[in-house]
Amino acid sequence: MNRILRKLFSNATSLIGIILLIIFVTIAIFAPVIAPPLSEDYYQIPRMSWDINPQPPGSPMSGDIRDIYDYMGTEIKYDRAICGTAEGGYDIFYGLIWGTRTAFKIGIITVTVSMLIGIVIGSISAYFGKWVDEILMRITDIFLSFPFLVAAMVLTTVLGRGLDKVMIALIVFGWMGYARLIRGSILSTKEETYIMAAKALGVNDGKIILKHLLPNTIFLVMVQGSMNIGSMVITAAALSFLGVGAPVGYADWGQMVSFARNWIIGSPGHAGQYWYTVLYPGIFIVLFVLAWNLIGDTLRDILDPRLRGEL
Amino acid sequence: MLSYIIRRLLLLPVILIGVTLLIYCVFSLLSPIERLATYIHDPNTLIIPKAAERLIAKYHLSDPFPLGYINWLKRIAHFDLGWSRTANQPVKDAISQRFPATLELVLYSIIPVILVGIWLGVISAVHHNDMLDQTIRVTAIIGGSLPSFIFGLLVLFIFYGILGWLPPGRLSSWAQDIVYTSSNFHSYTHLITIDALLNGNLPIFLDALRHLIAPIITLSYISWAFLLRITRSSMLDTLRKDYVKTARSKGVDEYTVIHLHAQRNALIPVMTVAGTMIIHMLGGVMITEIIFDYPGLGFWTATAAQQLDYGSVISFALLFATLMVLGNLIVDVSYALIDPRVRLE
Amino acid sequence: MIVNNKEPLLEVNDLKTHFFTENGIVKAVDGVGFKVYQGEVLGLVGESGCGKSVTAFSIIRLLDYPGKTVEGEILFKGENLLRKTDAEMRKIRGKDIAMIFQEPMTALNPVLTVGFQISEALLMHFKISKDEAIKKTIELLEKVGIPMPEQRINEYPHQLSGGMRQRVMIAMAMSCDPILLIADEPTTALDVTIQAQILDLMRTLLREFNGSLIMITHDLGVIAEIADRVAIMYASKIVEYANKRTIFYNPLHPYTFGLLTSIPRLDMEMKRLNVIPGIVPNPLHFPEGCKFNPRCRFMTDRCKEEEPQLIKVEEGHLVRCWNIDKVAPEVKKDLLVGE
Repeated sequence: MNRILRKLFSNATSLIGIILLIIFVTIAIFAPVIAPPLSEDYYQIPRMSWDINPQPPGSPMSGDIRDIYDYMGTEIKYDRAICGTAEGGYDIFYGLIWGTRTAFKIGIITVTVSMLIGIVIGSISAYFGKWVDEILMRITDIFLSFPFLVAAMVLTTVLGRGLDKVMIALIVFGWMGYARLIRGSILSTKEETYIMAAKALGVNDGKIILKHLLPNTIFLVMVQGSMNIGSMVITAAALSFLGVGAPVGYADWGQMVSFARNWIIGSPGHAGQYWYTVLYPGIFIVLFVLAWNLIGDTLRDILDPRLRGEL
Repeated sequence: MLSYIIRRLLLLPVILIGVTLLIYCVFSLLSPIERLATYIHDPNTLIIPKAAERLIAKYHLSDPFPLGYINWLKRIAHFDLGWSRTANQPVKDAISQRFPATLELVLYSIIPVILVGIWLGVISAVHHNDMLDQTIRVTAIIGGSLPSFIFGLLVLFIFYGILGWLPPGRLSSWAQDIVYTSSNFHSYTHLITIDALLNGNLPIFLDALRHLIAPIITLSYISWAFLLRITRSSMLDTLRKDYVKTARSKGVDEYTVIHLHAQRNALIPVMTVAGTMIIHMLGGVMITEIIFDYPGLGFWTATAAQQLDYGSVISFALLFATLMVLGNLIVDVSYALIDPRVRLE
Repeated sequence: MIVNNKEPLLEVNDLKTHFFTENGIVKAVDGVGFKVYQGEVLGLVGESGCGKSVTAFSIIRLLDYPGKTVEGEILFKGENLLRKTDAEMRKIRGKDIAMIFQEPMTALNPVLTVGFQISEALLMHFKISKDEAIKKTIELLEKVGIPMPEQRINEYPHQLSGGMRQRVMIAMAMSCDPILLIADEPTTALDVTIQAQILDLMRTLLREFNGSLIMITHDLGVIAEIADRVAIMYASKIVEYANKRTIFYNPLHPYTFGLLTSIPRLDMEMKRLNVIPGIVPNPLHFPEGCKFNPRCRFMTDRCKEEEPQLIKVEEGHLVRCWNIDKVAPEVKKDLLVGE
């Protein structure tokens, strides 16, 4: 374990990934300080104006909105849209900051839960073997027959919009990879000579699983999971982009980009006039995913020789 | 190998049933009234007293699960997929009308996936750790982090917003007039590029192509970035194998060593992944078509999802799942055919 | 059996091959030299990791990254192979110098037919038609003792047994009648009965056109069968170099001595198996002085400080040790091979 950590820090690419990740974690933790919320629902992006057209960075809060907040007695901690507003006056800066929390929520929760489901199903399948294995694997195949995005989209259409529905969809159609991974890992380790040696020494089956099989295999699955966090966030963003994910005005990067489709071309003669609607959320998404990918890539390289020789 | 193929074929109906079952489970999360909406095209129908109850009974929407499922399945078998509110026509027709557009897009997208993904992957592995390899690797990693919809927006922005070269849509209006209304133009395949060539109409061919380029770039991009990494890693593995050394020790020239001895082995696992990737590309169709206003299945489905047109969405899922199951079967069987170790078992 | 032309077919002088790894420089081969005359078999003996395979790959110049030959000369028919271009080496490989590998299952390409892999070398080095190549391939398969060769050429490696695969490898290597064959542990992966057949086969084939063989192995039994001269390697250097008889009856290096005495004897009562204590050193941290000293029962202080050079004990017998006079009487006592 220590060796892995050391290697992660020494490699240039993974180091960049780790630094990026630390930055994002900081943003997420200090969100209330960086972008103070203006209502009880922290994830509701405050509106700077009622304007349909996106406003450029630096635009001030419009008068009528300010009046509303004054009337409610809410303290306005900042009144400029630092990164501009999206369609409908939603403050982009706020969305970016709180969207970081959303991204972590989505990534970590979906991966953890789908990983658990996958581990359970995969382990049962591998341990009991024969027809239990056959049935569970066919079920896995059935779930795998759906392109991830399509399946998630169907589920969110039926269940309704909302971040929790998105996460459910991602989990329901995301566990199969882990199940297969752990099943394959257990099956191949089962045949390993050191397991047979333990059996020859009379160690009972349960102990064998707990002490010998699981530790090695779970590690692999966990690495796969951490590499998937990025893609979960992308898929959630894609769902929001298609209009079936987070509701309008929710602090989610994908949701912010969904507005951008209409504005990306700008008005005649001013191509790219509304660049900020796409660029800011886009950069955040890319860097977030890049961070996980860089770390994941290095982890994979480290694992490779390990799988060959030492594990 | 024969037993393997037979086994896969026998499993096919099992999996298809499982797929339909899963979809029906999701479908039945909706209330009977909501499901009824997929079969009615005139909302005024429900004003008639007791119409709702009678229709619900007719379509077995309140029946216990197994009965409901069987009835639904029977309808599907007869291609009665309900009514699409967003397309204002039966779902069956909506699909058949929009299918060629998506098919054309996907078929053309396979080319860059294979060319760039596999070919560059091989090159990258051969020039292991060179500047070339590092550049390709970095591009692939960054590429893997750029979501397809952002990439697509960028493409739209640059090639249309700024440069004006590649407009959204499928055809310019003048071309649309000819293709859809003129009696001189015969749509044999409904794949516009092919039809244009068959009709000897070069301008339309070029116009169609021009509208296809940006969507093709966007659709294929995720796939080839991934494929490149897999090919590279498979090739690197293979180049370390003993039989490559054997070939070299016989005095075989480097080109043959790489492209015959190594590549043929390295590409076997890659081919199956490529097949799966192409099938998954179908999922990305939705995003691409929305971004480029391309009137295919994806565009229709995404719109339907936004408007809660359940019938369309469910039917789309059914269609794609079926295609994927068939596609996987083809991929698995071709793997058995390509690898002599499996073929001659 | 030794037909001696005056000049050696292969002469290796002071060969040094290093591996430049992340953890340091591994001096896998550090000053190795020997001669192989035409028609002769040289046995290259040592435990795993002593550098014998690396020596072979250095000769044929197929070193894996990060290995590089940094010094020395390899004279083949009088020309230094280390100075040749890649294109020139490719003409030599397979045609004049051929190699047989240890694991026939992994050394053969699983997706190409056996026939293709054998005829490939022929088509590469000679201007013959495909049909002629196929004919020659069938002849070769017959020669190496594979039944029904016409059928076999269209089969794949996984369809053959281990012994047959190794015969295919031999056929492949010998297809162009190479004058020098390098065999890297060709029988290690096979069972003993097949081993004998394979060795026989190799000997017969070589005798046909008076070719030479470098037989790399850790098995002294194989050496006894087939070698004319023997070079014993330990930790990147040759420690003893003599003809077969001398090695078995009059070895002077403690390591050679240890190897011989560790073979269990049927004609003597033995209470325990003799072993050479200790393990092979880590190539990144070779011991100071003589590399064998930590395990040597004849070790003196000088051994820990200074590394011995190869000394000529008599014509054709070289030893790398400070204490051969101490070793000789022990040999007479322990080996007890009544002369």
